[in-house]
Amino acid sequence: MGGLTRKKLWSIVALGAMIGLLLLPTIMLLPTIMSLPALAGGGGAPAAGGPPPDVAKPADAAAGKDAGPKVEKGRDVYYKTEGIVTGAPAPKTADNSQFYPRYNFESRVLLWFANQQHLYYGSFVLAVPIFCMIIEFMGIVSKDRAMAKKYDQLAYDFIKISLTAYSLTAILGGILIFTFLTLYPAFFGYLSSIFRPVMHVYALMFVAESGTIYIYYYGWDKMKEGLLKWIHVSMSVVLNVIGTVLMMLANSWIGFMMSPAGVDEQGRYLGNIWHVIHTALWNPLNVHRILGNMAFGGGVVAAYAAYRFLASKTDEERAHYDWMGYIAMAIGVAFLIPLPFAGYWLMREVYAYRQQMGITLMGGLLAWLFIIQATMIGILFLSSNYYLWQALGRMRGAEKYQRYIKYMVFVLVVGFLIFITPHTIVMTPAELKAMGGQQHPVLGNYGVMSAKNGGINVIITTTVLTFIWYMRGNKLSTVSWAKFGNIFMGVFFACAYVNIIWLAIYGYYIPANVRVGLSVPQVATTLSCLFFMTALNGVMMRGAKQMGPIEWGKISVRSQYALIMLATAFTWMMGLMGYIRSSVRLFWHVNEIMRDNSPWAYTHTTGFAANMISFNVLFFWVTILFVFWLGTLGVKKAPVEAKVPIPGRAPEPAVGH
Amino acid sequence: MADLLGASLSLGWPVFLFLACLLVYFQFSMSDPDKRRRAQFKTFIGMLAAAMAFIAIANYKLNFFGNSRLLPVSLVMITALAFMMGLYFSNMSALFKIGGMMFLVAAGLSGYGNWLPQVEGGFPPPEVKLDFGSMSPQQLADEGEKIIFGGIGQSKVQGAIGKGQCPLCHGFNEGFLSERAPNLFGIPERAKKQLEDPRYHKGKPGDRDTAQKEAFPGAGTAETGQEYIAESHACPSCYVVAGFGVKGTNDKESPMPAIHKPPISLTLGELAAVDTWLYVREGKEAPTFEDITKAYEKFIPEADRPKPQEDKPAAGAGGLLADGSEPLDQIFAKAQCVVCHTIPGIPGAVGTVGPKLVEKTNAPTRIKDPAYKGSAKTVRDYITESVISPSTYVVKPFPDGVMPKVFGQKLSAGALNKIVDYLSQLEEGKVPPKI
Repeated sequence: MGGLTRKKLWSIVALGAMIGLLLLPTIMLLPTIMSLPALAGGGGAPAAGGPPPDVAKPADAAAGKDAGPKVEKGRDVYYKTEGIVTGAPAPKTADNSQFYPRYNFESRVLLWFANQQHLYYGSFVLAVPIFCMIIEFMGIVSKDRAMAKKYDQLAYDFIKISLTAYSLTAILGGILIFTFLTLYPAFFGYLSSIFRPVMHVYALMFVAESGTIYIYYYGWDKMKEGLLKWIHVSMSVVLNVIGTVLMMLANSWIGFMMSPAGVDEQGRYLGNIWHVIHTALWNPLNVHRILGNMAFGGGVVAAYAAYRFLASKTDEERAHYDWMGYIAMAIGVAFLIPLPFAGYWLMREVYAYRQQMGITLMGGLLAWLFIIQATMIGILFLSSNYYLWQALGRMRGAEKYQRYIKYMVFVLVVGFLIFITPHTIVMTPAELKAMGGQQHPVLGNYGVMSAKNGGINVIITTTVLTFIWYMRGNKLSTVSWAKFGNIFMGVFFACAYVNIIWLAIYGYYIPANVRVGLSVPQVATTLSCLFFMTALNGVMMRGAKQMGPIEWGKISVRSQYALIMLATAFTWMMGLMGYIRSSVRLFWHVNEIMRDNSPWAYTHTTGFAANMISFNVLFFWVTILFVFWLGTLGVKKAPVEAKVPIPGRAPEPAVGH
Repeated sequence: MADLLGASLSLGWPVFLFLACLLVYFQFSMSDPDKRRRAQFKTFIGMLAAAMAFIAIANYKLNFFGNSRLLPVSLVMITALAFMMGLYFSNMSALFKIGGMMFLVAAGLSGYGNWLPQVEGGFPPPEVKLDFGSMSPQQLADEGEKIIFGGIGQSKVQGAIGKGQCPLCHGFNEGFLSERAPNLFGIPERAKKQLEDPRYHKGKPGDRDTAQKEAFPGAGTAETGQEYIAESHACPSCYVVAGFGVKGTNDKESPMPAIHKPPISLTLGELAAVDTWLYVREGKEAPTFEDITKAYEKFIPEADRPKPQEDKPAAGAGGLLADGSEPLDQIFAKAQCVVCHTIPGIPGAVGTVGPKLVEKTNAPTRIKDPAYKGSAKTVRDYITESVISPSTYVVKPFPDGVMPKVFGQKLSAGALNKIVDYLSQLEEGKVPPKI
């Protein structure tokens, strides 16, 4: 009794401390927020080169100039509102060591590397606590005690990995800031003069995040039962709120660089910090990044599980890490599916903000990179399907689906080839002459938008079908209307395929601007399959007869390579899309406000970008494998819970089968 | 290949040495012949893997900034060595195999990126002040072509684009399919006809049902073809050509930005240059500069007119001899290398004040020269060093101090890269590569 009370007391103290840490930034920032305009203008911008306004004024007065208070107003470049100028203009840089000090190496590449590594680790440590929250919650609500323990252990394993990565994230953040300060001092000076209060909040939030994550991790054993467990899981909610705010604050900087607001045409801050944060692209970036982080985090954890699976010495270990890989893959793919829609929103906002920017992305300088992206999306879906087909092998009763796989491969490959076929190509005059027009005489026929949409929608619909087959792999529906349900599902899928393909063909017979609209019914068809058919299948499989248990661990080694492929491809795609997003500013540090006059103001070739992305991806993976290895050193007690009998049936929660 | 092997040896010699010592150690320390054979075999595999790894790294090091599209081969080599190590080192097999798989995926994607056509965004246009008012129509037209397409003669290049960014949406050549915005071929004649379109409501802006009825209150509508072009630039939504409006607005709103406003912000002088090109390239007589600017003044109030760039560029800006966007022979000419050096393959480069630049032949010998005190280890490094810091090593019998030491500041990284790329391929007695 005494022990339990003491535990409760400590937990409440810990929670109090955590809330205190959370409130600390707000309390400390109150005076800052109250006097934002004064502060923002007061210090001036060191990068601008001139003295701060408050220093300059007395000198002017002494010189007999305008002694009265002169208020200058400027117009916000985005919001079009008027505001009092409280900052210095964006510095006009030149290619010299004052503005761009350098080593005998391209500074932009160094910054690219530092930035990308910080982002990879940052994304991972922001995504993992979200998994932990979900999985720990699943463990709490699970009625099966063995499964509950397994989930709890899994969540603990995740946070343990992320803790080592967390330190690395902080170190890489420091390296990134030093890189900015030493190689791009004028630009970073300007950015920090605008975002000074935001940067302080960011730093304080980081303190709060650190405090919370340590309490969350070290309190795991102390708070494992009853009310304390609920307090513990609620801490993960707090942790994720802080993490999300952190990410959104960092996004505000890149949002400002792409679509500045809150400043006038000269880049002078107009005193409204919310305008500076809430730029045209901020919210789409936030949503896109949260989903992207989750898909990426799922990929990293799946690779970890694959590594442990391949290195396993016992059946128990293999079973545990097979299951872990499956859960991580399911989470990753669950967030991969909405990612294109978030991307679509982001692109729509880009077009709305600056049409030229959108065209540079999709139909101009960076268009070939989008061809790579399309290829990667195809690879991700193909790998996911392959993994699920392999996973059918660990279920008795799933053999009946094996014979259809070859047809699915055919459908997926055809869809993939159509999806990646370009239509209008940026080319040199010689190439244009050789090809006889903007479109390839044969391939050009296949690359129109509705056909591409048809390709990707066929791929996603087939993935849904594979998933449904996997879900019912070892089960036999016992509901009285099972036969009707199966026929209905079959007809529904057949109609979906017909509709998607028919619209893809119909697109050739209508003008381009009308053709674009066909994507709506095509996507609606795919989403109908995803939501209605998955739900219907769930209902049909309730109380279904088990043909045999899922034999976790009895999956081919090839499947684990599919997981590794998924993880590497996620990482590569993240690097690619980040490069595209950053490159679209072309020769602007801050779009249309601060020009990049460094010797590296041009856009690299596709090949160079691909090499650099590969380097970043591989560096990240080499270091994270080291982190994984470190994780295995700490506690050799694991997997204690793995000694719990391997479940003879599938895990219950929604993410698992 | 010799360069590559040399570089890999210079990078990896401590590892090779260590493995060789290990081999000797096993030979003398192990009495069990089976164990010894296994240990030596594994060490040999390690040496093979190390050799492959260092060749791969050296390939990256030598060609990182070059135009080689074979860098992914390095990744394939590492993939192969990782799987090979995975086969023979069973205790770390999983780690090697996973690593190998990751390198394979990266190699595939990197190779794909290098296989696709290589599009490189050029350098931004330099910020220079021009006096459009005093130019002849042809000079104005040339400036117009630069604004639209990024350079003189670029109008024939598909994908060429300049500050005005017009080709992003408009077609300019006869018969060219232009889906986003009207093809501007024939616009000088068509402009007059558009005024008679009932939807234009000439002289009656109030009758228009478009998103914007006038460029600004009281601006009215165009009366001449040139005014129509000016109005289209200043107020794209005042009249939208059928089929080119924002989707869903029934051609009442144009997707085109006002060209005198951010992000494009062309000045009246620049707009006059653009319009002059539209006439001149079709062999038509363009209105005078004054007439064109007057047409724009009708639709752009004074407060909205972008001012010509008054600010002088900050110290050093604009002082580049070559920014890297020029063809190679022009870079050599602009930097005046041709005056002093003989450079095979470069027209007019027959100077004898400095040494002949056959650097693939020269550089290795000079690096080995005991008098050489620089830090270059490769041909490329040596050339870069010689351009940026000519006094580091002075070729006999040429005197020191003749070559300027400003090229580090006066050449952009892109220009320097092109110079280094070319010179590093020149060999004595061999045909120079095509420029």
